[in-house]
Amino acid sequence: MTYLSKTFILCAGLVLAACTNADRFGDSNTVDLNSSGGAGAMAGTAQDPASPVYFQQTIGDRVLFQVDQSNLTSEAQETLDGQAQWLLTNTDYKAVIEGHADEQGTREYNLALGARRANSVQEYLVSKGVAGNRLKVVSYGKERPIELCSNEACYAKNRRAVTVIAAIPSS
Amino acid sequence: MMRVLLSLVLACLVWAMPAFAQNGPLRIEITEGVIEPLPFAAPDFVSDNAAGAEMGRKIAEVVAADLAGTGLFREIQPDAFISRVTSFSSPVQYADWKAINAQALITGAVTVDSGGKLVVRFRLFDVFAGQELGDGLQLVGTQDGWRRIAHKVADQVYSRITGEAPYFDSRVVFVAESGPKDQRSKRLAIMDYDGANVSYLTDSASIVLAPRFSPDGKRVLYTSYESGFPRIYVMNVGSVQQRVLESQDGQMSFAPRFGPDGQAVVYSVSRGGNTDLYRMDIDSGASTRLTNAPSIETAPSFSPDGDQIVFESDRSGTPQLYIMPASGGEAQRISFGQGRYGTPVWSPRGDLIAFTKQSKGRFHIGVMRTDGSEERLLTASFLDEGPTWSPNGRVIMFTRETQGAQGSASLYSVDITGRNLRQVPTKTGASDPSWSPLQE
Amino acid sequence: MNLGQIISGAGHLALIGWAVFGGAFNSDPMPFEVTEVTAISSEDFAALMDGPRAPDAVANVETPEPPAEGEGAPDLSSNADAAPDSAQPEAAASSEPDTAPEAPDMVPPADTEVSDAPPVLDPPQEDAAALVPEISPRPQPRPAPRVAPEPVAQPDPDVKIDDVDQQEAAPDETSEPVQEDTEATAREEATTEIVTEAEENDVANAAPPRSVRPRTRPERPAVQEDTQPAARPQTDESSVNDALAEALGQSGDEGQGAPQGPPLTAGEKDALRVGVQTCWNVGSLSSEALRTTVVVAVSMSEDAKPVASSIRMLSASGGNEAAAKQAYEAARRAIIRCGAGGFDLPVEKYDHWRDIEMTFNPERMRIK
Repeated sequence: MTYLSKTFILCAGLVLAACTNADRFGDSNTVDLNSSGGAGAMAGTAQDPASPVYFQQTIGDRVLFQVDQSNLTSEAQETLDGQAQWLLTNTDYKAVIEGHADEQGTREYNLALGARRANSVQEYLVSKGVAGNRLKVVSYGKERPIELCSNEACYAKNRRAVTVIAAIPSS
Repeated sequence: MMRVLLSLVLACLVWAMPAFAQNGPLRIEITEGVIEPLPFAAPDFVSDNAAGAEMGRKIAEVVAADLAGTGLFREIQPDAFISRVTSFSSPVQYADWKAINAQALITGAVTVDSGGKLVVRFRLFDVFAGQELGDGLQLVGTQDGWRRIAHKVADQVYSRITGEAPYFDSRVVFVAESGPKDQRSKRLAIMDYDGANVSYLTDSASIVLAPRFSPDGKRVLYTSYESGFPRIYVMNVGSVQQRVLESQDGQMSFAPRFGPDGQAVVYSVSRGGNTDLYRMDIDSGASTRLTNAPSIETAPSFSPDGDQIVFESDRSGTPQLYIMPASGGEAQRISFGQGRYGTPVWSPRGDLIAFTKQSKGRFHIGVMRTDGSEERLLTASFLDEGPTWSPNGRVIMFTRETQGAQGSASLYSVDITGRNLRQVPTKTGASDPSWSPLQE
Repeated sequence: MNLGQIISGAGHLALIGWAVFGGAFNSDPMPFEVTEVTAISSEDFAALMDGPRAPDAVANVETPEPPAEGEGAPDLSSNADAAPDSAQPEAAASSEPDTAPEAPDMVPPADTEVSDAPPVLDPPQEDAAALVPEISPRPQPRPAPRVAPEPVAQPDPDVKIDDVDQQEAAPDETSEPVQEDTEATAREEATTEIVTEAEENDVANAAPPRSVRPRTRPERPAVQEDTQPAARPQTDESSVNDALAEALGQSGDEGQGAPQGPPLTAGEKDALRVGVQTCWNVGSLSSEALRTTVVVAVSMSEDAKPVASSIRMLSASGGNEAAAKQAYEAARRAIIRCGAGGFDLPVEKYDHWRDIEMTFNPERMRIK
């Protein structure tokens, strides 16, 4: 990890500061890659296996869930295997796992459901050897859909857990 | 022939005597009536100067809007009036008001005293009985508080006629929404129950959810993502001072609600994917865990006596409603209908629980008795949720969201009979209402 | 024969005595009229003035501003002296000339002798919001702002809403009612029960409402004064009374004061009941008041109009005092409003309906 690429990521993070202004790591090096349209800003680094964009686009930063479920499909497990591998290789990064739900449900139940989903991912990554202290979970319930329509095509994409990568600050 | 008649009379007499004895006044029993809005007239409150007259007109308007807004009353438009009320103290021309079928008449007068205070007097008449209902009343307040005075007048009228406790002089804290669905910004806001006098309590920097009034209406609990994770905050509505409630790192807390003493707070904590209910003393921050199950337990609400908590749990496989002692312990399931139940809220009267129900792809607001019986669905739409009770337990306000990419949220209210569904006017999108107690 | 006459004569005497004296005792008007005022206390007034008052509705305030209490605070001191002028009872009622006598004089325009047919006529057989049979989910009633014992179809938009249906002037088929110059009115559209949004849900897909109207309960007895099938207790009672009266050979005897002659038939009583219930609006009553049954006494003038000043509550059960008061007031409005044109009562039986006790039992209205 070069100084240059870190700087780049930091800048990209500022550009992308979107959904949350949250300072979830207690420092300002947060990169929120959840925004679906944001990848363009990172173009050029998707080929670099050590870059968060590679993590987001090539490995896949998100897994999807069945209605009301928080257990991982085999497809999801495959994605998470890749995520775990990447995290084990790139130890300068940590991750926040965001759990989401579709809009079919009450606000509070969906918050709890999102927490379940995020936790499923966290547990899986930990089972693959990622240190638990590099992973945090948060649930957005139904507050942050990525697809806007009100039918199953959109709902299926909104029932997700997204692993958001951020650099660990060099102290 | 005589014998037959005689024996008939004799046979019947013993049996008939009670009926006979009742035969003084004619007795009838009325068991069928009508349910319709009661027509009333609220002429402009009179005043001896132009400024006061303008105020008198506005006050009468708000009084009429409050009453008509309940669905229990119907305003008779002023152009139908035969009589003009020109003086507060002159006798009421009952005949003129009867002729237009005004069953209740509200008259009032507005003056500004030497200290600049607004002085409002009013009387309420039962037109057909030809008499005053209750005594005249005088209210004094600041001039820019005229709406509150109008609400208080309407509260008096409403209570004197219906017998219900009043509720117009109350406020609603809610989440003001703007922006598209995927980047919706949310701010805490507060307004009068009728949508007037909106002011904002937070900016839109962080997502805020589900504010809940304290029993005295002075504080609000809400959930904010200010820290990056959902946490519970308490805000003093007057000073807008806020603080986060105690919570441990790595856990999310949400769905807070005050107990009736204003001291206990019950809420959900998610940790390790599991969501359970906790209870905290808001001043000391000491908390105890109320449930300990691998299922989701959330959306708790105290009974008005503080002895019990109704909440939502999916321990049976789908979200259903349960009641447990306020200190935790065994819970009884109370919802058994088809579908999923959530966000139960105990009515201030204690007899009903309002809830959100999801069934066959639609959402409903409903009420049931506290043992789960007599379930009745009051609304139906693509997405209704989050009921809150008016201070008198007669009206429910809730969030209704429309579907699709352009979907937006707004507030609606409905009488607990299921009548009078109407939108609460707000300038922006609005969700998660919480109704204050009646203001003092 | 002698024995029978003695027994029944004694019974009648007792009855007459009871009616005269009991009635006399009853007619002592209960001091009900003016009530305790929920006057606003001085604290309330103080609170009214300093209580949180939201500042003006400003739409786009970017920064939170302390809305309320802080600002009210300075007012506090001055509020204290506001207390004295709080809630003056205004000596209201007393300051006004006696208004009560006005009521009886009221003769509303639509003063038609609707003779035999009580105001509620046959419900429209079709095109009305149909009653829901308990067994089947549809056809469903559609929501209307008014709920009445019988559904009323949406009225002709030109027709004025009134409590009873009235034909426009020229009467034809309905021979006897002499309808002078009355404006055509119709009862407001009504369903027989409250229809919530949730229940109305399937209406759009449901079969057209123009189907045979199912009934949820036995039809109200037809309004003719023929006696009813034995199902009805009053019927038995009155036919026995009839029989007794006949046996005693007293019919037609116009006594002075005491009820004599044949009592009202079940049909006549029904007509009165229907006449009152048309105006008994429980829609604005609290749920508590809807649990309260009140017994109301009223004296009638010979033209079958209630004497407003004679109306009083005899008893109440089921609710607290406040609920009883609202329930009574709703009952009083019903009697006065629907009685304004005179109830449909046979004048030759005036002695039997000079004093009436009406029990208003809202039990069935609660579940609408």
